[in-house]
Amino acid sequence: MLHLINLLLPALIPSWNFFDVIVPSPRIQYAFLDSKHGAVDKWLEFRPRPTHVSFFEMLKRMVWNPYWNESLFLMSCAERLLEYPTKHSETEIYKRLIFELDSNTINSKIKDKKYIQFRLVLIRREGDKLKEEISYVSTSQRFEKMY
Amino acid sequence: MVGFAFIQQSIEHLRIYHNEKIIFLPRAVFAGLLIVGFQTNWVVFILLGVGLLILNRFQGPYNGGADRMSLLILICLCGIHIAPTKEWQEVALGYLAVQLMLSYFISGWVKVINPEWRNGQALVDVFRFSAYPVSESLRGWSNHPQLLLMMSWLIIVFELVFPLSIVFGDILIIALVIAAIFHFMNACLFGLNRFFWIWLAAYPSILWFQQRLFVTIS
Repeated sequence: MLHLINLLLPALIPSWNFFDVIVPSPRIQYAFLDSKHGAVDKWLEFRPRPTHVSFFEMLKRMVWNPYWNESLFLMSCAERLLEYPTKHSETEIYKRLIFELDSNTINSKIKDKKYIQFRLVLIRREGDKLKEEISYVSTSQRFEKMY
Repeated sequence: MVGFAFIQQSIEHLRIYHNEKIIFLPRAVFAGLLIVGFQTNWVVFILLGVGLLILNRFQGPYNGGADRMSLLILICLCGIHIAPTKEWQEVALGYLAVQLMLSYFISGWVKVINPEWRNGQALVDVFRFSAYPVSESLRGWSNHPQLLLMMSWLIIVFELVFPLSIVFGDILIIALVIAAIFHFMNACLFGLNRFFWIWLAAYPSILWFQQRLFVTIS
């Protein structure tokens, strides 16, 4: 109950400090493994942005934007994992990662994979350069649906 | 408008996951009842209860500030329904109006005290590496620092002076139109569509607040 009140308080007395500081931004990358402790061959970015989104598509997203809003939630989970790691945040990322990759029938090689792992890469600006830093590596998980 | 915003949010969750459907499907139905005005004094409490379930389900807001504004509106609507007198009802609705004003003013304040916002670097960083731009082509905006510097100051000045608009009659309407355009741009560029609808849903509270404060006084 106390936990729920803690979650509700920021809504009752909001801080409204949107975009006050532009903090380092996490990206989710994933890799398939042959076994639980197997070696990672290649890390791939989860949900890379499209090159271009048309104005018509933007208008459509005013009323129907579930994919992007889910991506924003995944970013929240990633930020929470970096601030105060919880099983909940890791599970939410895994659940959505596995669902999406499992639904991706284009890449049939995925079907052969037994384990999956993700990591968070923080992108920050140092001077004029962008730097990438691996900030979190999850424990590997069987590649099977979690819902 | 609140009901429409809740339906829009809820149907986005009805695509895939069963344990989300069992929360968001009833929410969409109750939001529909809010729109048609059926038993609203019960419906707002049920929607607040569902809102708490959602908070618990996602261990926080699913969509940041948009979810927080949704809950704030519901809390204030519930306050209006349980208020023992008309004065307390006005306090509940006035609280929402004040929070709406603060949502702009505080956003402007935290920016103006940050040197990186004042020199335009913060907005360059938003486009260059933050998670928000909806496409890679939008990252190209970071190559136009002068334009982003101008945009930064337009945003800061507008957010800071927004509360003053309540004092000047029809200026408030103009300020709300500009604010809606600002949210629309955020929805297009950063995919923050839920913010657009839920902030618009709170606008009637500030229009009422202006009437209550200044028409009553005059």
